[in-house]
Amino acid sequence: MAKKKRDEVSTELDLVPIMNMVTILIPFLLLSVQFVSLAVIDSTLPAIGKPTEPSAEDKEKLNLSVAITDKGYTVLGASGVLGNPEGEGATVPCLRDGCPGVEAYDTKKLTETLGRIKDEFSEEENVILVPESNVSYEVLIATMDASREDPDTKVTIGARKDVPRPLFPFVVIAGGVQ
Amino acid sequence: MGKKKMRRQTEDGALSITSMMDMMTIILVFLLKSYSTDDVSVAPSKDLQVPVSTAEKAPKLAVNVVVSQREIVVDGEEVLTLDRVQNDQGLEVTAVPAEEKRGQLISALYDRLLEKAETAKDLAMRTGSEEFEFKGEILLQCDKRLPFSVIREVMFTAGQAQFGNFRFIVIKGAG
Repeated sequence: MAKKKRDEVSTELDLVPIMNMVTILIPFLLLSVQFVSLAVIDSTLPAIGKPTEPSAEDKEKLNLSVAITDKGYTVLGASGVLGNPEGEGATVPCLRDGCPGVEAYDTKKLTETLGRIKDEFSEEENVILVPESNVSYEVLIATMDASREDPDTKVTIGARKDVPRPLFPFVVIAGGVQ
Repeated sequence: MGKKKMRRQTEDGALSITSMMDMMTIILVFLLKSYSTDDVSVAPSKDLQVPVSTAEKAPKLAVNVVVSQREIVVDGEEVLTLDRVQNDQGLEVTAVPAEEKRGQLISALYDRLLEKAETAKDLAMRTGSEEFEFKGEILLQCDKRLPFSVIREVMFTAGQAQFGNFRFIVIKGAG
């Protein structure tokens, strides 16, 4: 009788030390877990970027640049202001006067405008951003996002399906308007 | 009647921790899985709010420059304290103190970055391996409220110190 009881006791697994360990591990891991995942945007200095050798069959270069001012975006090409027949003011004006914040910049319309330019110059992949001194870094990043790809148009590249249509993925930041 | 029966049952056995163990094990595995081993980490604070972007490229290790609202930090060492000044629209913005600049060049940052470039080049020469080749890569973590003038000065200084490949750190978001 007594022997049977001892057997029963020994089959019971003692989980308390494991519980202790787990309760310590969980707060530790919770502290060190990173809930934000990071990414990078590449850009090169115009002067230090790889020099492109001009070749004979070089097509007409677009030299697309987007000026970011306190009035909105002005899209410029080698031939002058693009996408704005009147040629006055910003190509893509701000949604609100004076562009108070990043939401005021009409990135959707900029993407559309650049999409139309991409239709015409499908080889071109570079865009030069020319921000004014007062433009905040956040606006700069938003502009880079808007000019890199068009999330509303899906295309198939090679084996990858339904990727956002790439517009001008190589961004160069120019000195800017003083 | 039923109540009485239930009470007797709980009194019989010890506290059942098996289900709790199950849960804990799942949480443990989940946390271990999401345990980040990224090369680059940001410590967001009041002075450093990294902007959100739709970019997807994973960060690689390089010289790390943090430009917050208060200071410029290179690889964890403070280089320069920034000023708050009034801009021409009367708004208070962050700027590099005038006495720290030579034209557009931020002297203290330039010296530090040049040192880093020399070290990196030395390492590349000694090891001779492609992995350590000096490509002039620099990671920029900037606060989203900084005006472009500060970013431009930092970029110009980095460019002068042979760091021409900028990688702007952003937080991956839905956009």
